[in-house]
Parts: sequence; C-alpha cells; structure tokens
Amino acid sequence: MSEQQPYEPKIVAFLCKWCSSAGSDLAGVSRIQYPANATPITVPCTGAVSPMYILSAFNKGADGVLVSGCHIGDCHYLEGNYLARRKMYLIMKLLDFIGVEHDRFRMSWVSAAEGAKFAQVVTDFVNDLQPLGPQDKLKRAESK
Amino acid sequence: MINLKDVRDAARDMLAKGEVRAVIGYRRGSRGMFAEPAFLDRPEEADELVWDPTCFHNLSLYLVHDRKHLAHAGKKSGAPVAIVAKGCDARSIVVLLQEHYFGRDDVYIIGVSCEGTGVVDERKLARHLNGAQASNAAFDGDDFVFTTAQGEKRLPAREVMADRCLECRNPFPKEHNLVYGEDKTGRQLEAPFAALDRFEAQGAGERWENWARHFDRCIRCFACRSVCPMCYCDECVVDSITFPISTETTADEKANRIRWIERSAARSENITYLMTRAMHLAGRCTDCGECDRACPVNVPIRLLNTKMEKEARDQFGFEPGASIGGPSLVASFLDKDPGEFIR
Repeated sequence: MSEQQPYEPKIVAFLCKWCSSAGSDLAGVSRIQYPANATPITVPCTGAVSPMYILSAFNKGADGVLVSGCHIGDCHYLEGNYLARRKMYLIMKLLDFIGVEHDRFRMSWVSAAEGAKFAQVVTDFVNDLQPLGPQDKLKRAESK
Repeated sequence: MINLKDVRDAARDMLAKGEVRAVIGYRRGSRGMFAEPAFLDRPEEADELVWDPTCFHNLSLYLVHDRKHLAHAGKKSGAPVAIVAKGCDARSIVVLLQEHYFGRDDVYIIGVSCEGTGVVDERKLARHLNGAQASNAAFDGDDFVFTTAQGEKRLPAREVMADRCLECRNPFPKEHNLVYGEDKTGRQLEAPFAALDRFEAQGAGERWENWARHFDRCIRCFACRSVCPMCYCDECVVDSITFPISTETTADEKANRIRWIERSAARSENITYLMTRAMHLAGRCTDCGECDRACPVNVPIRLLNTKMEKEARDQFGFEPGASIGGPSLVASFLDKDPGEFIR
C-alpha cells in the first residue's frame, strides 16, 4: 500500500510587525527549515487583530489561524498584547464552544530574536493540524 | 408586590409637570394578554400602563431609537425620557450610559423589581395552557395567575418563566431614579448559566452537530440585531447594505467595499454573523434574552451570549452593566488574565 501524502493545512498567521514578523524573518535569514504552510499577514500590533479577522480567515478557507505577538511587557504600544490576550481568549472559547477543533486556533508570543521559536511554533501547528484535515465548518462554499 | 397604581401615579405626575418628555412603559397589547411597548406623552395616558409577567420587552431599545430620531432631526433632547426598566433592562441602560450613548440626565429610570420571579416564556406557557386563550397574567408570590375563559389558572412561576429569569442573578434594577418592588436578589431558581452548562456538558462533536443545525436554520432576518439595544451601530460590519453611500460614492467603490461576509443565508455566513455578534456583545450583553425571543426560527442565540458572559465573569471577574463608571470588557485588562493558552 502506498503511503498517503499528509494533508497540507493552510495557515493564516497574523504577525505583529514589531516582533513576530521580524522573528519570522530571522527564521528565514538563519536558514531554519520549517513548513511553508503559513501565510503571514503583518499587523501593527496583536491588539489590532479583531476577532473578525479570525472568523473571516476561517470563513475564507483557512485550516488554522495563528496570532503571534510580543511577549507580555514588551508591546511597542505598551498594552496592545494585553488587550489581544483577552480578545483572543474570548474568540478561542467561542470557537471551542460551537465545536470547532481546539487546535485550529493558536496564539504565541515570539520576539524578534526568537527565529527558532517561530519555526517551532509553525512546525507544531502544522503537525497538530495535519490529522484534522481540511476545515469545512466555517468555510464558505465556493461559488461556481 | 408592586402596586400598579403607584407606577401610574408617578408617570402621570411626571408627564403633567413636564419633567419628562415621554414615558416608555408597557400597555396591554392587541395580542391576547401579552403586554406591548407603550410610549406615553400625555398624563391621561398613564392609566394604560401595566406591569405583569408578560412585560418581557427590553424597552431600553427605544431610548436608542429616541436618540437616533433626535440626531436625525437635529434636535436637542431637552427633558429626559422616563422608562420602565426591569433588572436586566436597567443594566442595559447602564451599559449604554457607560458607552456615553446618552447622559444620565437624559433618562429617568422607573425601576421595577421582578421580586424573585421574572417574565414568562411564551413557548413554555403555550404548553401549559393547552390551547386556551389567556386574557390576563398577574404576579402572585411564587406563582403566575392567568385568566382564561375556563377560569383562573395558577402556575408555579418556575415552570413558565424564561430561562434567563430562572438564572437571573440581579432581578433588582440597581440603577434607578425611582424603584418599585422589593429587592429579592439571590433568589434565583436555577444556578447561574444552568442552561449553558447543560449545553456545554456535551462533547465538541455533539456541540457542533447542534450548532450546525441551528446555523442552517438561521434566515438572517437580523431580528436579533434589530431587537437588541446594544446593536446600535448605524453601520453594521456584517451587513454591507448598511454602509453609507453618498452622491460621491462611485460604483467601483460600492462594488469593492469590504464584505466580511456574504449576505446569503448560508451556514458559513450565518456562523460568522452570529459569532461576530456574540463577540461584539461580549461584556455588553446583560442577558435580557430579547434576541432569543425574537428569533423566528428558534436559534438559541442566548447561549452564545451567555458563554461570553460566563467566560468574562469566571476569567476576568467582569459583570456587564455593573456600574456606569466601570471599564469595558475588551478595552481593559488585568495582569492576571489567563495566558496559559499562549505558546
């Protein structure tokens, strides 16, 4: 029996421009090998990530959504990540409540110096998403 | 027990003296015994006011309407508007005040305590009345008394009360100018969030199956949005037809405007709509249950809102509508907010 190809999940990653975005750059320039499943979207701050972005990403076919920003205390805008922590907690609980798999949404703190951590976060996320297969709960039916 | 005469007298007096522009209250409706919202602006109308277990509407919605009308007509508000408010309604008003939708002097709150009972759930009541038409409903201690053609029917309040009332933690309108009825806070008949807990006891798979059925049913009539005093935005992010257009708006702009979700009542779009709404109401919803009641296809919208309320209470110690000067849920934070879920 031939081995089946694992499902390649599509990840939408909202990365803070002050830290995680630079962290992903560092992973790149350091030539760290990690899966290419994440599509980065740079945002000014995780505090600017509306829960609507996450719902919308799922709605448009993302299999997983990652929100990554600065460690607590390191926010460029002092408190953006504290606000994000609350909002993301609520949307995570709401997704879980309606029965969307817990592993489809993830949040991480990755500083500009943590290229290796960024690679690890994406690798782990991909590994967790692969067994779940395509996300079709919130995905909009494609129009012909 | 609330003496209805006191409420009527107070309303008449205020209108006669011109202290208020209008009184928003309940009157006997044209649909059997059920009360309907009433807008009184003449003192002689005060006798139309009623207070009974069918006063389920959250009238603070009409304070929002009033502000919109004033803004539209370019008028100053002048005298305040008086409003009859239950515990949950008064909390809605507090949230509106918190958000500076209007000033405290613009509203005169006539609080009415539910006194340890609450309002009826029409669907539950229908099962008990067996098709009989009731012409009147009244509070009587722990019971509701309904007048039907076959005589009086007494039912324990807890059997026909709305779920939200069974779980109500604050049946007393804390924020008020005048208040009638006793403060019987702490007499809730079911544990807070009992309905939510029952639903959450299911596994993720079952929850999804349930919600998928509910979301499939939604016809996106936006009744939940229309009936909600907190959904006051003129532009609604999930509904592209509410976006303003002017003579300068080009066809190109209109066509390419951001559409977070499509307007079709497909499951995926319904989910995104209802989840967005739940997020927008997090920390603002005071569980008046109007969305649930107004839904023509019985989507348990209240569950989504109470889920947010419960998380806010358990994790952030947040009670919506607790005080006018208090912080808002998503524009504040604590050092001890949960963060273990973050890698």
